[in-house]
Amino acid sequence: MIPDWKIERFLTGDLPEEEMKKIQNLEATDEIFAQRIKLLREDNMAILNKLPFETLSEKIAEAKAESAPRTLNFSIVKFASAAVLVLAVALVALMSQRETVVAGTDVAQANGGAPAQVALIETQSDTRIKGMEARMEVWKKTPAGIVQLNNLDEAREGDEIQLRFAVPEKCFGLLFSMDGNGALTMHMGDGAKAIELAPGKMNSLPFAYKLDNAPHFEKFFLVTSQKEFAVDEKDIDKLLKDNDVKVVSVTLKKVGE
Amino acid sequence: MVYRRCHQLLRDEAEASDLMQDVFVRIYSALERLDMQSPSSLLWNTATRLCLNRIRDKHRRGLDSDSSSLLVNIACADDEQTDYEAKNVLARLFSKEPESSRTIAVLHYVDGMTLEETAREVGLSVSGVRKRLRGLQAKVKNLEVK
Repeated sequence: MIPDWKIERFLTGDLPEEEMKKIQNLEATDEIFAQRIKLLREDNMAILNKLPFETLSEKIAEAKAESAPRTLNFSIVKFASAAVLVLAVALVALMSQRETVVAGTDVAQANGGAPAQVALIETQSDTRIKGMEARMEVWKKTPAGIVQLNNLDEAREGDEIQLRFAVPEKCFGLLFSMDGNGALTMHMGDGAKAIELAPGKMNSLPFAYKLDNAPHFEKFFLVTSQKEFAVDEKDIDKLLKDNDVKVVSVTLKKVGE
Repeated sequence: MVYRRCHQLLRDEAEASDLMQDVFVRIYSALERLDMQSPSSLLWNTATRLCLNRIRDKHRRGLDSDSSSLLVNIACADDEQTDYEAKNVLARLFSKEPESSRTIAVLHYVDGMTLEETAREVGLSVSGVRKRLRGLQAKVKNLEVK
């Protein structure tokens, strides 16, 4: 019998890979358990419909406006990001169980190589909060499904990574990564030039990225600015230190087999 | 998840909706000193703590509660840890806010987490969890620390 608390973590995708896989297998083979999960997913949707996040964010803003009006804007941004992250994780975990929202996508091999087919999630996380900062999410395909990676999580050669991002306002943006060999890989941009980005929902890049054998780390950067800009492959620091750009980064620690 | 957790402990739809919002407001208020690495745990434990406070407040005011007697006993147990937290003493000593013994008791006795799982959940050692539970055991009937 899987306890409720563990099932809740399963539904939000917040369990270790091994346990995720174990419960997914149980869902696939045990009709009664599968029905239990199905009902909880339906309940999740009903709760979100009844108590949408937009309503909640307004209440949070109201509550804080009464107690600390001067710090509201700065703080709400951070909380909103965290709360949306939780909801996004829940939604992605929820949607990932449904065949209708899973689409085949090419995987681009780092530094060249043949594309492969990967099942990736196409979610519609339309929740948006005024003043929210740009966000980037890093997801990894595993045998148990797709799991989100946090900063400083471990990754291996051959891991298939999917990048997702959202920006709060119209801006220019670039998405690239640097590996432990110092090699720069562009994931989104017009060559080295930033492209115009539209605000709103989370966007998945149209391809996944397979990590090569570069050692130590892979660091992903989402760089945005109100002005047009480009990255110089030989001097990335110059861009990152530019006061006109905002940088969101996620670093994966590379580990061997 | 948060709504279901509140409803599970309070057994009242309106109160669960109300508490769910309190959970998010509370986390937001303490955001600067919280560990956001495991948002599910944070939400779950915060919901647990606030529900226990609600159950205790209702009990003290003599209001009926639909919660189980075990939960009411845990909620009403004196908890030095909670008192310290209220005085903001521990918050100043630890960057990660420690969970109250009452919350730990609910995770173990009500949710059925093993000692190891509970320890992982609240960031304590197994012996630390056992010690907290033993401390609470003296004040709550039907608690048996294995």
